[in-house]
Amino acid sequence: MIAIEHLSKRFKTAAGKDHLALSDINLELKSGEFVSIIGPSGCGKSTLLYMIGGFIPASEGRILIDGKPVAGPGPDRGPVFQEFALFAWKTVLQNIAYGLRLQGKSKAEAEARARVLLKMVGLERFANFYPKELSGGMKQRVAIARTLAYDPQTLLMDEPFGALDAHTRTHLQRDLLQIWEEHRKTVLFVTHSVEEAVYLSDRVIVMAAGPGRIDRIIPIELDRPRQRSELMFDRRYQEYITQIEGMIDAFETEAA
Amino acid sequence: MTANSKLIGLVPILGLVLLWGWLAASGMAPRALLPSPVDVVQRLFELLADPDFLAQIGTTLFRLVSGFLIALVLGTVLAVLSASSEVTQTAVNAFVRILAPLPKIALYPAMILILGFGHSSKIALVVIEAAFPIYLATYQGMRNVDKKLVWAARSAGASRLHCLLFVMLPAAAPSILTGARVALVISCIVVFLSEMMSSTEGLGYVLIDAARNFRTIDMFVPIILISALGLGLGAGLSALRRKLLVGYPQD
Ligand SMILES: Nc1ncnc2c1ncn2[C@@H]1O[C@H](COP(=O)(O)OP(=O)(O)O)[C@@H](O)[C@H]1O
Ligand SMILES: [Mg+2]
Repeated sequence: MIAIEHLSKRFKTAAGKDHLALSDINLELKSGEFVSIIGPSGCGKSTLLYMIGGFIPASEGRILIDGKPVAGPGPDRGPVFQEFALFAWKTVLQNIAYGLRLQGKSKAEAEARARVLLKMVGLERFANFYPKELSGGMKQRVAIARTLAYDPQTLLMDEPFGALDAHTRTHLQRDLLQIWEEHRKTVLFVTHSVEEAVYLSDRVIVMAAGPGRIDRIIPIELDRPRQRSELMFDRRYQEYITQIEGMIDAFETEAA
Repeated sequence: MTANSKLIGLVPILGLVLLWGWLAASGMAPRALLPSPVDVVQRLFELLADPDFLAQIGTTLFRLVSGFLIALVLGTVLAVLSASSEVTQTAVNAFVRILAPLPKIALYPAMILILGFGHSSKIALVVIEAAFPIYLATYQGMRNVDKKLVWAARSAGASRLHCLLFVMLPAAAPSILTGARVALVISCIVVFLSEMMSSTEGLGYVLIDAARNFRTIDMFVPIILISALGLGLGAGLSALRRKLLVGYPQD
């Protein structure tokens, strides 16, 4: 379980002023829960994920993971970035085996496990390719496999499908959901797409900017496992989307 | 590079040789001072059959390559040190800022006094000249590494040191090799210069010795050879670059 208590983040601007990026965030994530964050650009979604990842320190408040405060990055929390962040000098297989090698597994053992993950993301034919030889969607599949390889309890996904075309995006959403159904990791998923958030999540957190804060949390009570084709005809699904889009529109009218 | 564009690269060289040939033939400069390229090439092949002369090339090549390689290691180690923490960064940068604007050749007399007239003083001069571009390129390259690459590694369980050596350093490889290319050219210049100034062997010495004795043809041979060495080593570095950077974007 992840508990976020009174979390704030201030950045020093170049002019030397304090900039309050996140203000008093309180949130609990249950184990195995899929939670999406949606909100306008600059409301601190990435910053929140980075603090949970232990990549940047909090200014105030704390983050507890199973009762222990976060003090830095660790293999219990695996990030997936919009920009993939793959190791250019490693092949697909070596990228995925990376975390396993760090855990002290032998090369053969790590690569065998990496092949299983590669198969899971449907890229077994690309084991010896370099990242630059793959499409965006394939790169993100590799990045997801690289993170799943060290078996983190929590996935921190920052607009992972934001750079992909609509078709690829739909595929990856479906596959991610399938992987999640199977492994039930806690997922914190930042997105700009309301549809994506509703389709994937148990709860959708709507954030507001200036300063970044949680505006509302909406539980998505749709049955699982979910099929996109079925949801399209589900009135509740449509209502969730309309409701959340209405809220975001309201912010934007406010801001304008 | 395609075969075609390689051929185009030969055009300026050919042009230069033609210009030289025309100048020599025109009689604008006395023949004794400006020999024709044909005479020089002929002399070059004569000398290449002479084991003593080959030893001179060997000497220069040895100084050049060892100086360059030591600079590569030194520059890279300093850059890693600099990237490793705030304290080391301040220390290394202070060191670099003091030494960088200094004409390193000014240290050469001191090096000769300390290290003698042999290989060591030449290699030392090459090292301090060539280490700077490598340091600067590597340092910049490591600073510009995408943070997310490091975060991805740290989350996978990598230590800070592991990240520095096995994530940031390889991520900076394209910059390091660009620095190395500059450093190689500098090494060629500096080794030749150091041998011209004080040496009893090497191509630079051959040139000075020929000049002192008014053997003008023999003056041009080492010039051609140091260019050829630079060209050959540069081509080797390019091949290595292609091999090392196989997975990197572009290049
Ligand atoms: N390193 C930083 N230095 C200064 N300000 C930052 C830094 N990172 C983010 N910010 C600021 O914090 C706010 C939140 O940024 P971010 O978390 O990237 O938003 P989001 O991901 O929701 O678009 C923005 O106003 C941004 O300008
Ligand atoms: Mg963001």
